Amino acid sequence: MATRPFTHRLSAGWEAVKQFMYGMTGHEFARHALEMRHELEAVFMVVTLGDLIGVPILPPVYSLRLLPYVVPEIAKWKRHMAKRREFWEKEEYDMHGV
Amino acid sequence: MNTLLAVIIGALTVYLAYTLYARRIDRNVIQSDPKRATPATLYMDGVDFMPTNRNILFGYHFKSIAAAGPIVGAIVAASLWGWLPAIIWLVLGVSFIGWASDYSAIVISVRNEGNSLSAIAHKLVSSRTRTVLLLFIFFYLLLVTGAFVMIMAQVMDSQPRTHLGIIMLVVMGLLLGQMLYRWKTGLVGATVFTVGVTLLAILSGPWSEPAFQGLNAWLNGLTGGAPVVTYFDPMLAGFKGAEAKIMPSLLFWAVAIAVFCYAGSVLPIWRMAQPVVYVGFWITALSMVLGLGGAAVASFVKPEVAQFQIPAFKGFNPQLGPAGIMPLWPMLFVTIACGAISGWHALFGAVGTARQIENEADMLPVGGGSMFTEFLLGLLALLAVSVGAKGAPVGTFASGLGGFISVWGVPLQYAVSLAFAAFIVIVLVVTQLIFRVMRITLTEWLGDVIPPCRNQHVSSIVCVLLALLLVVTGTWVYLWQLFGGANQLMAALALLLVTVWLASVGKNWLYAGLPMIFMYITTMASLLVTAYNIYFNVYQPNREAGRMLPMVGSGLMVLVALLLVVAAVFIGIDGWRAFMKYLRRPTPTPKTAPARG
Repeated sequence: MATRPFTHRLSAGWEAVKQFMYGMTGHEFARHALEMRHELEAVFMVVTLGDLIGVPILPPVYSLRLLPYVVPEIAKWKRHMAKRREFWEKEEYDMHGV
Repeated sequence: MNTLLAVIIGALTVYLAYTLYARRIDRNVIQSDPKRATPATLYMDGVDFMPTNRNILFGYHFKSIAAAGPIVGAIVAASLWGWLPAIIWLVLGVSFIGWASDYSAIVISVRNEGNSLSAIAHKLVSSRTRTVLLLFIFFYLLLVTGAFVMIMAQVMDSQPRTHLGIIMLVVMGLLLGQMLYRWKTGLVGATVFTVGVTLLAILSGPWSEPAFQGLNAWLNGLTGGAPVVTYFDPMLAGFKGAEAKIMPSLLFWAVAIAVFCYAGSVLPIWRMAQPVVYVGFWITALSMVLGLGGAAVASFVKPEVAQFQIPAFKGFNPQLGPAGIMPLWPMLFVTIACGAISGWHALFGAVGTARQIENEADMLPVGGGSMFTEFLLGLLALLAVSVGAKGAPVGTFASGLGGFISVWGVPLQYAVSLAFAAFIVIVLVVTQLIFRVMRITLTEWLGDVIPPCRNQHVSSIVCVLLALLLVVTGTWVYLWQLFGGANQLMAALALLLVTVWLASVGKNWLYAGLPMIFMYITTMASLLVTAYNIYFNVYQPNREAGRMLPMVGSGLMVLVALLLVVAAVFIGIDGWRAFMKYLRRPTPTPKTAPARG
């Protein structure tokens, strides 16, 4: 069985340490930034395509013009909104290290 | 005994328990399959469900479970029973119970579509279990906030050298949130600046001490040196009990901490709670890494800080207060919680981590590995308190940790300042987050029945006031042990769920079932012992002296203890019924795992 050279193992170990440090430090910020972006996109979707979940807001002509830009997000957005008791409700359930 | 030997014992424990026991369970019982799709890959939404590299997740999970628990527990246990029982429980607890609980909570969630423990309890056990669990979690959080606010207020009142660092930590945390999320500053630059300034402020603590001493003296002068509240504290006079006084300065710091926690609870999480935790994490991590390294090499470099100073064993039932009992079983097993086993880890693992597991083969390194690392943190705290000079427990810990840090050439005075600050920082940042989770739990639990509880300000104020009420009883050791009992009982309930699930899928349930029985009986007994102690040691003396406020606070503690016992009995009965139902059922044929796409 071929064994990896020592330098490869060393660099793999260093990479693992860097990933561990990132997990302890930046990962949570990255997740939260994604969550904030996701929230903004959800608001945008409600404003433009609210009628898909029963909230007609914009006249359909504008929705149709925006539709091509939001198609990739529709499935995720509907699943996300379906999890909420109220569509405007968003609570912080992340326990962040207690 | 010296620290080098203890570090070797710790390293051997981790190696042997992980390779000989944990891996075997993962391979033979759980049969983790790298080809089976996980919820993160099945339901990826880019936010909650997100496949994440195992090393990143290990760091994330460890940081999320490592808090003040392993430190405070070791300090209290070593001062009550000596270092030997504490180290034995840490080693045995993590080897046979702790890793199993943390790992299994992740497993059960991954195999149940990423659901939380309460949702799985609803599905596997009974519908009322979820409500009982919410009630349970709320009171368990209340206990820990009461204990932490009290500990912090006492340390801040007696150690004015820590104030500047703590104030600067909050200011830098707020600045970091603004820099990262509004000014879009890079993480590395923002970290170097905010953590650097906070560290400077902490190390400048001794210089700012006279100013804060003056503030405390001025506050105490407002009442002419008279206390605001007087209560009977069984911890004083060599554990025989004596009158204790809450001075205006202590009340001021308790209220200041409560206001800080209120802000952390109601402001957007990116604005305050998250960045303050982040800055605090670096301060604590720096102290712990320097301390653990120092403990390992101190025997060669500075032997005088490596020798244990406290007795190995102080007795099976140390006297605590005039009528108190503190038997080693069950009390040691709840006093040391997080370094050996913790219910909080299971709660967090099932929700926060399980939804990011990319591959089933990562469940053990992430869940079990983080718990073993947490054990090392608990061991370090035990070493620090064991080598520290005599005195108050927190002071002993700080002087011990400061001694380890001084091995690296840091002057002892500054090293002790850093150790004190690290302790307060970790407790402070954790407390504000607990208030946040507590108000959410209150909203979930009572929001539909009492609509004002859905308002975040109302629910936060209720939580803060309840915690302050517990603070004025002054008996933080009992608060801590009540919390420990609730926390360990939470772990037992998580293991109960795992046992029921293992029975439901026809797997060998013994590795989770036996620890569950031990923890369930132990923690129920500990809650009853603590309720007895609080009643006879705190409630009775204060009632005889006609002190209303401490009487109400300690009465509330007794009630909470009994409530937790009743809640656990309900969950236990439901769990037993569900377990027997699955056990009598013919073994199900395992479903074919969906292939990874």
